[in-house]
Amino acid sequence: MASKESLDHGRTDSYRVATIGPIEDDNRTADGQFKTRRKPPAKKRKPGDLEDLKQELDIDYHKVTPEELYQRFQTHPENGLSHAKAKENLERDGPNALTPPKQTPEWVKFCKNLFGGFALLLWIGAILCFIAYGIQASTVEEPADDNLYLGIVLAAVVIVTGIFSYYQESKSSKIMESFKNMVPQFATVIREGEKLTLRAEDLVLGDIVEVKFGDRIPADIRIIEARGFKVDNSSLTGESEPQSRGAEFTNENPLETKNLAFFSTNAVEGTAKGIVICCGDNTVMGRIAGLASGLDTGETPIAKEIHHFIHLITGVAVFLGVTFFVIAFILGYHWLDAVIFLIGIIVANVPEGLLATVTVCLTLTAKRMASKNCLVKNLEAVETLGSTSTICSDKTGTLTQNRMTVAHMWFDNQIIEADTTEDQSGVQYDRTSPGFKALAKIASLCNRAEFKGGQDGVPILKKEVAGDASEAALLKCMELALGDVLSIRKRNKKVCEIPFNSTNKYQVSIHESDDPSDPRHLLVMKGAPERILERCSTIFIGGKEKVLDEEMKEAFNNAYLELGGLGERVLGFCDLQLPSDKYPIGYKFNTDDPNFPLDNLRFVGLMSMIDPPRAAVPDAVAKCRSAGIKVIMVTGDHPITAKAIAKSVGIISEGNETVEDIAARLNIPVSEVNPREAKAAVVHGTELRELNSDQLDEILKFHTEIVFARTSPQQKLIIVEGCQRLGAIVAVTGDGVNDSPALKKADIGVAMGIAGSDVSKQAADMILLDDNFASIVTGVEEGRLIFDNLKKSIAYTLTSNIPEISPFLAFILCDIPLPLGTVTILCIDLGTDMVPAISLAYEAPESDIMKRQPRDPYRDNLVNRRLISMAYGQIGMIQAAAGFFVYFVIMAENGFLPMKLFGIRKQWDSKAINDLTDSYGQEWTYRDRKALEFTCHTAFFVSIVVVQWADLIICKTRRNSIIHQGMRNWALNFGLIFETALAAFLSYTPGMDKGLRMYPLKFVWWLPAIPFMLSIFIYDEIRRFYLRRNPGGWLEQETYY
Amino acid sequence: MTVKKRTSDLTSLERFNMYYREKEPPLTGSQKVKRFIWNPKTRQFCGRTGSSWSKIALFYFIFYSALAILVAICMWTFLQLLDARQPKWQLERSIIGTNPGLGFRPTPPEVASSVIWYKGNDPGSQQFWVKKLSTFLAAYKRDGKKAGAGQNIHNCDFKLPPPAGKVCDVDISAWGPCVQDNYFGYHKSTPCIFLKLNKIYGWRPKFYNSSDNLPKDMPEDLKEHIRNMTAYDKNYLNMVWVSCQGENPADRENIGPIQYLPHRGFPGYYFPYTNQEGYLSPLVAVHLQRPKTGMLINIECRAWANNIKYERLEAMGSVHIEMLIE
Repeated sequence: MASKESLDHGRTDSYRVATIGPIEDDNRTADGQFKTRRKPPAKKRKPGDLEDLKQELDIDYHKVTPEELYQRFQTHPENGLSHAKAKENLERDGPNALTPPKQTPEWVKFCKNLFGGFALLLWIGAILCFIAYGIQASTVEEPADDNLYLGIVLAAVVIVTGIFSYYQESKSSKIMESFKNMVPQFATVIREGEKLTLRAEDLVLGDIVEVKFGDRIPADIRIIEARGFKVDNSSLTGESEPQSRGAEFTNENPLETKNLAFFSTNAVEGTAKGIVICCGDNTVMGRIAGLASGLDTGETPIAKEIHHFIHLITGVAVFLGVTFFVIAFILGYHWLDAVIFLIGIIVANVPEGLLATVTVCLTLTAKRMASKNCLVKNLEAVETLGSTSTICSDKTGTLTQNRMTVAHMWFDNQIIEADTTEDQSGVQYDRTSPGFKALAKIASLCNRAEFKGGQDGVPILKKEVAGDASEAALLKCMELALGDVLSIRKRNKKVCEIPFNSTNKYQVSIHESDDPSDPRHLLVMKGAPERILERCSTIFIGGKEKVLDEEMKEAFNNAYLELGGLGERVLGFCDLQLPSDKYPIGYKFNTDDPNFPLDNLRFVGLMSMIDPPRAAVPDAVAKCRSAGIKVIMVTGDHPITAKAIAKSVGIISEGNETVEDIAARLNIPVSEVNPREAKAAVVHGTELRELNSDQLDEILKFHTEIVFARTSPQQKLIIVEGCQRLGAIVAVTGDGVNDSPALKKADIGVAMGIAGSDVSKQAADMILLDDNFASIVTGVEEGRLIFDNLKKSIAYTLTSNIPEISPFLAFILCDIPLPLGTVTILCIDLGTDMVPAISLAYEAPESDIMKRQPRDPYRDNLVNRRLISMAYGQIGMIQAAAGFFVYFVIMAENGFLPMKLFGIRKQWDSKAINDLTDSYGQEWTYRDRKALEFTCHTAFFVSIVVVQWADLIICKTRRNSIIHQGMRNWALNFGLIFETALAAFLSYTPGMDKGLRMYPLKFVWWLPAIPFMLSIFIYDEIRRFYLRRNPGGWLEQETYY
Repeated sequence: MTVKKRTSDLTSLERFNMYYREKEPPLTGSQKVKRFIWNPKTRQFCGRTGSSWSKIALFYFIFYSALAILVAICMWTFLQLLDARQPKWQLERSIIGTNPGLGFRPTPPEVASSVIWYKGNDPGSQQFWVKKLSTFLAAYKRDGKKAGAGQNIHNCDFKLPPPAGKVCDVDISAWGPCVQDNYFGYHKSTPCIFLKLNKIYGWRPKFYNSSDNLPKDMPEDLKEHIRNMTAYDKNYLNMVWVSCQGENPADRENIGPIQYLPHRGFPGYYFPYTNQEGYLSPLVAVHLQRPKTGMLINIECRAWANNIKYERLEAMGSVHIEMLIE
């Protein structure tokens, strides 16, 4: 629905969607659930209905006269609202804050954990147990309490694992709560003529508020008075240029008119007074947030994989259970026995501990990622990042430092490179030439930016600056080159100033000289280079003033074009010493009607600024490239700047050309170039608006290196959907509120921890604490590793299912005494297998996981046919053989030779028979037989532990030899010892024979499984040796999971 | 089979496109199943082509054959280590332990039941039990026809324990009413139940060495009997004694008088059992002389010796029998 809507409309549509009237209450929450059961809606809303709701609402707040507005809100520009009216409004409209997205109630979450996944199957098992016990209890005098016992154990298992995963879930959601408790915002309000400082939440419609630079706009306001007021709308519109705001109505579109400022945008400069026209969820920002929460996000890939896997296992369990239920009937078993078989098969088939293992593995990785500045909001996102095949990245702040920095200077007819690195490790330049000195003086003086107070220890480049971004860049550059700029300004007292405006495109200030012997005033000017050049007649080169001739103009033009071509913002600088006779100290300069020269100035040089890329980014992009991840840059910036940054960070790699580049190189029109020849593409937002989805697909498909420039945030959503349509798993970074729909739509939305808005953090799955693109790459690496390790962990856990289920099948089909009981199965699944399975999460990668392609979400499943074939068909079978061998050994050593056991089940399990004869003529009482049987269960259990040693070691690697991989995973080594110790504990602790029916084993009964353990190890080493020798061969296709 | 290009051979464009796959047209559920079972386009049956099926089948055939051989080798080696005549673990080292239970004959037709149930006036229903008993006792018959079985048998006495390798005879011919000719008393509603002590390889009873030193919970009549017997012959101390009684007070009334044949226990010279050729378990015939009819009687029979522990729930050293004569 979102895609359709966004295709039908132009770039400003997100705003229109956002600015249309309050959507009528359809009695649903944002995610489509009914709010209450009281008012069922008349009809189900189809997605298309949103279209109907999109009728333009007349926001006329910006059109009407202020007087009418005061009338409407019963307010007054000087006195504001009365307290009574404010209170009334507050009660009517509620607090001025965004409604947080509807939370699922805790008990629903808890029930989901308690009844989701395998839990349902186990509940069925437990209920069957209770039924069986109930029937036995009502028919037999002394019912065996086995079933009751098992039922309780099963129920306990489900409840404990349910509580565990609920606990894990709530723990990770608690991390998020820390983000919700933001520092409260305050606003200056006029009520009953008094200036009050209120919390932003307490603002109401009609309040008169005062805003000054540095504040966050507390609500949507209509401006009634402004003084040099500028707002940064980037979090709303993505445009990073501050926009000036005033009282005049300039545009029909509420977003473009000058007299509105919006909730949660920032005031950058000046002060203003305004009247609150929209509050809370009705603000533009609130509606975009609502739009985001309405988007369907779909399941994460890992959730899909796990569901797929649960369905598979449940299907197998139900199929086997029902089949054997029927077979048991056909074989003439009592139906109660058949039910007990059913329970056994269900218990054996369900890897009870697996979901907990997966949760723990993901938690471990999430923790590890958090320590690397990736905060994962929802656990499953850990893996999603690993399967990412496309990253749509923001430019500003993510790829770049989000700091305008002086990159180049042109003076003395040469271009000088300034140091743009974050730690000032770059090249240094000569700071003594007269050309530089003159330029530096202009740059320091003709500059209104100032460092904010209280930042003494902070490196200059990281200091916060009050003022425009380019002036801040100049300030920092000068602070670095000259030292204390403020004292220079003090020494050269400013006597007059004309601020920058868009018609003049220059800024002028006049200063007294710091040289006591020189009474002349210095006029300094900076601005758009061509405008500055127009006003100059001389140029300062090599310490001498020269006439600005054609040759010099040519040199200037070349430099200007070169710097502009680098995507840099270029400023020109010039100055003039005012003659002291005409302009003595104390001369009254008039700025409104300049009474001083603004022509025939002396041109000094150019300085160009750029928001430089972060140091780690080019490396990270290269890593992504080798990892097969396509990095797409989506920015609101100018294409040339975007392309320059893309080139410098490697998003457009060296030697790759765009269609325009090819056209320029071959000197042919762009239309004649075959677009397939160009690997790179820079797509302009206006172009994108013209494209239909097929054309967009084509661009995404045939260009490997894409930059989208001048895009609106809504188009970001289109791009994300385009990538997803092509089957990619898309990660999107964003910080603005307007990004939140795209963040939500993406498979993994990445919000910025520092620059990001609350709404974007809410919509995202992951938060980069350091706003650094390189952290995403770390995240991808961790995500890929955990996917591999989860596979290993699941392979390990699933393998023991075969030795667990085969005893039941043999019990039913061969009529032998049960070789492995349900309680022992639970001991394996929830006891000995748990720690080793979790320890595989700590396994180091086998090879450079960032050198291979992202996984194919269609083919490379978490649990695939090869994994099942390996775990069930091969290793599991060897394990089952080991278990049965131990079983037969113990039976035979105590008197029952193998052949004797077949068909003996009924007598064996009959309490009435107190003298069952074995192969040596000995007669066994029921009690002794059961002791023997439970000893066999214990031995079977122990032998599974023994063969799981080998299984754990072979699961460490999927391709490499264990010799290559080593045994350096200490968690895993601990797991080996732990499972052995636990098995010994269960077997030898006194009282276990009563509690768990586990009997002490003779030492020799640990041994029969050893040949099988060795053969598992040897078989798999050979298999992997062959895999390495014949990559892509048949064996790999059939057994490499 | 298509040769998979290695990823390093692909151009970067191809590499990216590997991950941008065209979505297949949506199929209905039944179409999907059908296409899974037989896909005519790829000639795949259940997701594999014929050659793929045969390859995987061959692989698993070899794999499982190897596994079977491994199991066979292990099993064969293990069985070689076992003795055919005596179990590897015996007495307390074996799980069977040293505490024999009791067994009874005839056993009911239903495996899980311990009720001897017949109609006193219906010869047909008696016949089943009589036949069961005579089959059981056939091994004890010494009519000379069975060659071989007899030669190992030795008539034993307390003073004449069997020589090594020989077994003691159990003479069932003179057991009063509990003989086949008398239909083991079943036709008169005075049925005989045969008790035997479970055989445990190498087990020797520890007899009560004096009639004054009998356990407290031993029924008085048995104590009396022991005292009488030992007064007559000290050798009778070397007996594993047997007592039967109703489980509950009502049963004790209903059961009526009981006669034990030929002795009220198993003479000591039958022990130990060492899997001798032709070994016969010593028997005690329990003759219920006047059981109440039309009433289910729970009987518990118990063996007595110093090293036989008893616990009713676990049926240690005892056996539970139910009798219902209609």
